[in-house]
Amino acid sequence: MSSKTSLRAVIAVPYAWLAVFFLLPFALVLAIALGTNDPDSVPPVALGFSLENFARLFTDKLYVAAWLSSLRIAAVSTLGCLLLGYPMAYAIARATPARRPLLLMLVVLPFWTSFLIRVYAWIGLLSENGMLNQFLRWSGLSDHPGTILGTEWAVHLGIIYAYLPFMVLPLYATLEKLDVSLLEAASDLGAKPIAAFLTVTLPLSLPGIVAGCLLVFIPAVGEFVIPDLLGGTRTLMIGKVLWDEFFTNSDWPLASAVAICLLVLLVGPIALFQRQQAKSLERAE
Amino acid sequence: MRFSLLAVLVSFATPAFGQGQVNVYNWSDYIDPVQLKDFGKQTGIKVNYTTYDSNEILDAKLKSGQSGYDIVVPTASPFFVRQIAAKLYQPLDKLRLRNYQNLDADTMALLGKYDADNRYGIPWMWGTIGIGYNATEIRKRMNNAPVDSLRMIFDPATVSRFTDCGVMILDSATDVLPAALKYLYLDPDSKKPEDLAKAAKVVDAVRPYIRKFHSSEYINALAGGDICLAFGYSGDILQAKDRAAAAPEKRVINYNVPNEGAMVWMDVAAIPKGAPNIDNAYRFLDFMLDPKVAAASSTLTNYANGNAAATPLLAKSMSGNKSIYPNADARSHFYTITAGNAAEVRERTRLWTAIKTGQ
Amino acid sequence: MTAPIVKIEGIAKRYGTVQAVAGVDLEIERGELFALLGGSGCGKTTLLRMLAGLETPDSGRIVIDGQDMTGVPPHRRPVNMMFQSYALFPHMSVAANVGYGLRREGLPKPEIATRVAEALALVQLQTLGERRPSQLSGGQRQRVALARALVKRPKLLLLDEPLAALDRKLREGTRFEMVRLQEQLGLTFVVVTHDQEEAMSMASRLAVMNAGRIVQTGTPHDLYEHPATRFVADFIGVANIFEVAASRWMALRPEKIRLAAQRPDTAHAVSGKIVDIAYEGDRSLYRVLTESRGVMLVSTTNVTRTRESLFQRGQSVWLGWNDDWGQTLDE
Repeated sequence: MSSKTSLRAVIAVPYAWLAVFFLLPFALVLAIALGTNDPDSVPPVALGFSLENFARLFTDKLYVAAWLSSLRIAAVSTLGCLLLGYPMAYAIARATPARRPLLLMLVVLPFWTSFLIRVYAWIGLLSENGMLNQFLRWSGLSDHPGTILGTEWAVHLGIIYAYLPFMVLPLYATLEKLDVSLLEAASDLGAKPIAAFLTVTLPLSLPGIVAGCLLVFIPAVGEFVIPDLLGGTRTLMIGKVLWDEFFTNSDWPLASAVAICLLVLLVGPIALFQRQQAKSLERAE
Repeated sequence: MRFSLLAVLVSFATPAFGQGQVNVYNWSDYIDPVQLKDFGKQTGIKVNYTTYDSNEILDAKLKSGQSGYDIVVPTASPFFVRQIAAKLYQPLDKLRLRNYQNLDADTMALLGKYDADNRYGIPWMWGTIGIGYNATEIRKRMNNAPVDSLRMIFDPATVSRFTDCGVMILDSATDVLPAALKYLYLDPDSKKPEDLAKAAKVVDAVRPYIRKFHSSEYINALAGGDICLAFGYSGDILQAKDRAAAAPEKRVINYNVPNEGAMVWMDVAAIPKGAPNIDNAYRFLDFMLDPKVAAASSTLTNYANGNAAATPLLAKSMSGNKSIYPNADARSHFYTITAGNAAEVRERTRLWTAIKTGQ
Repeated sequence: MTAPIVKIEGIAKRYGTVQAVAGVDLEIERGELFALLGGSGCGKTTLLRMLAGLETPDSGRIVIDGQDMTGVPPHRRPVNMMFQSYALFPHMSVAANVGYGLRREGLPKPEIATRVAEALALVQLQTLGERRPSQLSGGQRQRVALARALVKRPKLLLLDEPLAALDRKLREGTRFEMVRLQEQLGLTFVVVTHDQEEAMSMASRLAVMNAGRIVQTGTPHDLYEHPATRFVADFIGVANIFEVAASRWMALRPEKIRLAAQRPDTAHAVSGKIVDIAYEGDRSLYRVLTESRGVMLVSTTNVTRTRESLFQRGQSVWLGWNDDWGQTLDE
């Protein structure tokens, strides 16, 4: 009886957390998003029920362009993370068990330093007189190297760098569980190493790929800090639009509408992922 | 005026309340720390001094409701004006400020455009928006460059010559669009869509030659030689000048007030409604009005202050420097802008985003 | 006499400080069901994996059907293996699992379908082609693994403990089923097992391994009736082993000993007392405490139905045998 109550209490904790720190703020943001901007009141919102803010987000071509650009940048960066993270995760999963903790620690190590400082460090590496260009000039590889800083490439580089661990860790988790005898069986049945990878390793690591991609893609869509610091003038992202609406225009309702749309846009893939997870669990039974 | 993410993330700290203290929310590096310490020692008041790096943060905090601050220092336009309209401040009882008569009449008149009869704020620092450049690099590329004209920034034939050494412009619609209007000899405060469209065209034409629109990165970039030309705040560029001079490369950075006319910005000290320590707030304002304090803080920031009695206390290199204290002729070309209504603000921001990103 | 299908010459493999396989020579004939028998860690699985190409020998040569395969990777060997864990691909249907090897050969789709259907029919799984491995019973999975390994008609089919994961009842049926398949298809099977009963009943020939070496090779009958060493005598079946002279032993199977109430007229006889009886229906097993040889095991076949023919616990009895009823061992 008492163990049942304590079990309930344990389950209640995450739900309470979710209610207080997610649902309640979400309801507030939604209420603001349905209101209208009233700059001369405190807070600068007139509550009501207006869908005008949402309509504006999808009709103004500047906002639509910001959405598309954010999705594109997030997608390219996610792909970059995957291409870089997969071999890393694979190598760690195939390393001797004694060495794996060390390699995993190296992946997580950057988290011990502030995110902002790490992104700032890239400015020092990529700027006109930064370490990369100094090296190129010193080594004679290029006399007039271009500047990566301020281009979309720098944004991709920054996002890939910052989010790589979120890709590597779930991939490692699935690859590490992969039964080596399956690969042996594939090889035994005549599969060349590449074919064995494509027909066995890749499909079986799909849950890790999906999890890693979501963990990178979702925050990358709303990313604001990295494009601001490393990106150029032309990098248009929805995170910056949100910032402008909230701070520059002091338009809390429109900023809230952007936030709601971001959330809704990202809940879709998460739900999809959950369904896939449930299916693979079912399969495992 | 400056804007940095670091500050955004660290500055949402709540000040303490209680007797014998004062909660000051100010720009970082904006008041002389030695004087600040003395104030605490002499009065026994505990100063909870927190800083921000962007007006937007301050604005958002004040608009959220009770902020708990006794003194805040917003920029006059568009923030302070908007905040007055939202009734966020209490009128000042000037009789409680012994040092009030130290204030400079011209500066007070300028501020009066936003704050009728100087009801809510006292001027702290002010400066101009102008042209910062690396003298050596500019001369290398253009011997007779018009370094004291807005043509440096807005004339495609001129600015394009400096693309290779790097050009940055403030990421601020309210600072750059008026300057573009001024360059066209239109009213810099115009809110007319056709005027703004013309200004947008000016900025759009030079956009290919601009490395980045950003409101703080140009300080390090100028000092470090990553760019050779910037359109930015006087104090920031003078700070870059000092840093460049101290570095081994000895780069020469100069700041010029554009002769077409410069926009003046001003930061204003004011007491928010609901300030928990009113008496101490007045004592702190009086402290800020002390010529010694104003002079020391100007020396720290490279900005002019609104305190007439402080000018004689400044080193000649400051009070005689026309990029800090411009002469009467330059002053006669100064302009200011008003905030505009919500629709105008939105249109301007939208226009600015579109220009920057080339949409 | 045709050439052997497999020729193993001086194969050795070492993992760190462990000598898993220590110099093995072996020939396997075409069409045989050959068993590698031994306890865990004797090197039998390593030897099998070297045949498959999953391990590379440190020294020695492996020739399969006249071709040196020593350094050839698994996917280029005419050999297929059935894994102890079955190693079925969990993300593929049964039919896709079975057809995997054929698809790697790039065969046309209709041919693959036909051959998969044939293979599934061979193991009586024709109706389950669309299922996932997780939806099958243990016995069905075992048959999928078997079908997958033999669908390519390999020159050599390697089976690593093929029955170990099945329960006892299923194991016996499957055992005969596998022998039937092997004979029907005329393939060469190499089975690794730790179960001597399984090896004896399935294999046409077998090799007993111990500590990385082959101790004895021969037919089940050879190994049972003429064990070469005390290890083999003890490992295969049950034997009474006792010293008959300095460094000479006798291995005597329980069923070879004559059990009688009176002293039998055999060359050797000892008397003793029955201390334990295991009645198994078809036969009875007696533990007899003898005066001169300690505890000995004797079995009798229960050919009559009367109770009187059985001996009782505590009864005094005689055990008798002749010299040629057992195997004399030198070591």
